[in-house]
Amino acid sequence: MSIVQLHHIRKVYDTKVAVEDLSFTIEPGTMFGLLGPNGSGKTSSIRMMIGITLPDSGSVSLFDRPFTRSALSRVGYLPEERGLYKKMNVLDQLVFLGQLHGLSASVASRRATLWCERLDIVEAIPKKTEDLSKGMQQKIQFIAALLHDPDLILMDEPFSGLDPVNSFLLMSTLVDLCSIGKAVLFSTHRMDQVEKFCNSIALIHRGHLVLSGSMREIKSIYPRNHVLIHFEGDDSFLNHPSIEHITRYNGNVEIKLRPSATLADDTQSLLTQAVAHARVTRFEVMEPTLEEIFIEKVQQTLPGKNGRNLSMAQLDRPNGGALDA
Amino acid sequence: MHNVWLIARREYVERIRTRGFLITTVMIPLIMGGFIFVSAFINSNSESIAHIAVVSSDTQLALDLQTELQQPQESRPRSVRQPRITVDAINLGTQSAQATRALVDRELDSGDIDGYLWITPPVAPAKAGPTRPTFTFTPRSSEQDYLRSTLAAALSTVLMRQQLAHRGIVASDADSLLQPVDVLAAHAPRRQDRESAVVSVAILFFLMYFVIMLYGMNVARSIIEEKTSRIFEVMLATIRPEEMMAGKILGVGSVGLTQVGIWLTAALLLSAGSVAAHPGGQGVHIALTAAQIAYFFVYFILAYAFYSSIAAALGAMTNSEQELQQLNMFLVLPLVVCFATLMSILNYPDSAMARVLALVPPFTPLLMYLRVSLGHPTHAEIIASILLTSASIYAIVWVTSRIYRVGVLMYGKRPTLPELLRWLKYS
Repeated sequence: MSIVQLHHIRKVYDTKVAVEDLSFTIEPGTMFGLLGPNGSGKTSSIRMMIGITLPDSGSVSLFDRPFTRSALSRVGYLPEERGLYKKMNVLDQLVFLGQLHGLSASVASRRATLWCERLDIVEAIPKKTEDLSKGMQQKIQFIAALLHDPDLILMDEPFSGLDPVNSFLLMSTLVDLCSIGKAVLFSTHRMDQVEKFCNSIALIHRGHLVLSGSMREIKSIYPRNHVLIHFEGDDSFLNHPSIEHITRYNGNVEIKLRPSATLADDTQSLLTQAVAHARVTRFEVMEPTLEEIFIEKVQQTLPGKNGRNLSMAQLDRPNGGALDA
Repeated sequence: MHNVWLIARREYVERIRTRGFLITTVMIPLIMGGFIFVSAFINSNSESIAHIAVVSSDTQLALDLQTELQQPQESRPRSVRQPRITVDAINLGTQSAQATRALVDRELDSGDIDGYLWITPPVAPAKAGPTRPTFTFTPRSSEQDYLRSTLAAALSTVLMRQQLAHRGIVASDADSLLQPVDVLAAHAPRRQDRESAVVSVAILFFLMYFVIMLYGMNVARSIIEEKTSRIFEVMLATIRPEEMMAGKILGVGSVGLTQVGIWLTAALLLSAGSVAAHPGGQGVHIALTAAQIAYFFVYFILAYAFYSSIAAALGAMTNSEQELQQLNMFLVLPLVVCFATLMSILNYPDSAMARVLALVPPFTPLLMYLRVSLGHPTHAEIIASILLTSASIYAIVWVTSRIYRVGVLMYGKRPTLPELLRWLKYS
């Protein structure tokens, strides 16, 4: 059984292709990361999952059935742009949104109070929404998405604008929900958040699916060819023949090794050389980060020159500087 | 339907609770009442005394006219309410004509008199047959022109009496001969009722116009507010745009109906009070039958549904109040046309123009209401008006819900016409 199944969906707004031939599946109990730069089609995909817009072609299934609006009572949605009735009292607002999802007023009210306690915003309950801080409003919105105990939780950029403490609080709440079998999808352009929590991901770029699968599978495809070295003294060991690319920070370097069958040996010989020349305080062999994988994949699918200096910042641009160079 | 009810209830409760609702509910009748009171007050105090001068070389004629005009007019029917007239008789014999004319002209200009009557003696009095002098009345402005007919009536009485005296008839006999005949109206109150019905209907029309304007704009504004606060995206994740729009129109409309209901109840209670205080008195009272009130609500609801769905479309198309103001002529223009024809239809509710306009959809609910209340539309016309309006409401809601569905998700610039047409094709 799968919670969400997208089957070759496509959406075009006037002239702009928002999503092209996108397919993926989300299983119960999964923390699913939908990744991509701004404007890559994350929000459009989510909107099609819940019928705010309909795909031009392809199909959406929720809970193993073709999409119908009745499935929406089992979905909780936190939109990227937060929206609440500003003049409304917090409890009234939560009860109203809960009722729209089919709860009775008394159940909605009881759950709203419980959630406010859990997220530590009891003092906000009697206030008007417009009198709350942005972070508190975000928590209210978060509660509104979860009040009806949905089986599928869709969070569009849930942590943008939140401080680390609150981000962690919300994240661990989502992890708890995941562990009791709910499926959570969250979209983000911050790859570091995904690496820690997601067990499954889909990477999209300009509406196209670039990469998808479980986190472990994806990482295992990529060799451990990244080395982080903190050192003092002579840096002549950096001439080592197996080094493909070096990034220097103050007092340390990040190295990418050439792809080869004897990667482990190359790494060892690099360590020997480094120790021979300089005083090494840290030497770490790592998998590539998701960001690096993402950039590499984008370069493969979209053949461009000069790709080495490509960064997320450049991908963010709608007409991606380096890619078109 | 449950969702529509939830949306409508939220909209209603949140709006009724605001201070704005309380203020408009109390202030609008106060302002309207104050306006009516002030205009009635001004009316009762102006035009009550007219001061004219009669210039004549025939002193007797001038004095007779003065007596005739100044006599108390209580005998006259009340409906023909005449101003009290004071008359200065100026004898032309002692002064030159030019000097006198200059004098009365100065008085006229300074406002001391409201007009003067210049009596020129007959040119050839020696000829056979009764020759009359010529009478010229110079009013201060066209406002005083109505005095001419009063003067003419008084002059013919005076001249008649002179002629009778000439023929040797005693003054008291002449008076009884000249006693004006009163035709008593068998249904005296009928005209009174029609007048006060016109006033009541006009007031209800204003109310309708005003409430539709106010609450139509409220619908548009509340949609824009949801677009700016982005709440609709949360809503659309559970309910259909059509449900949202329907709930909004119903909720806001119920607030309007509540307000009108409060006002009507208050007005009925007040007028019942004043009728009780002055039985058969002349106080302002609402002269409406139950059918008229029922028609008012029917056409009010139709008119509101019609205009608020247009307003909803405008709200869905725009992103800010400023943009809305550029487009709101689509809402205001048909209402203004209704307003422009108001006087004509109040006076001639069954004229050809009234009959045609009352069946043109944007004007139907407002104008047919006037015709139903004051004129005699056929049953077919009433049914046609209701069907036509319902059909056009359906069409507008259909178009609006499409615009709404796409429009609420669009941000940034206002759509162009071709874009709007494309929106209609989206499902």
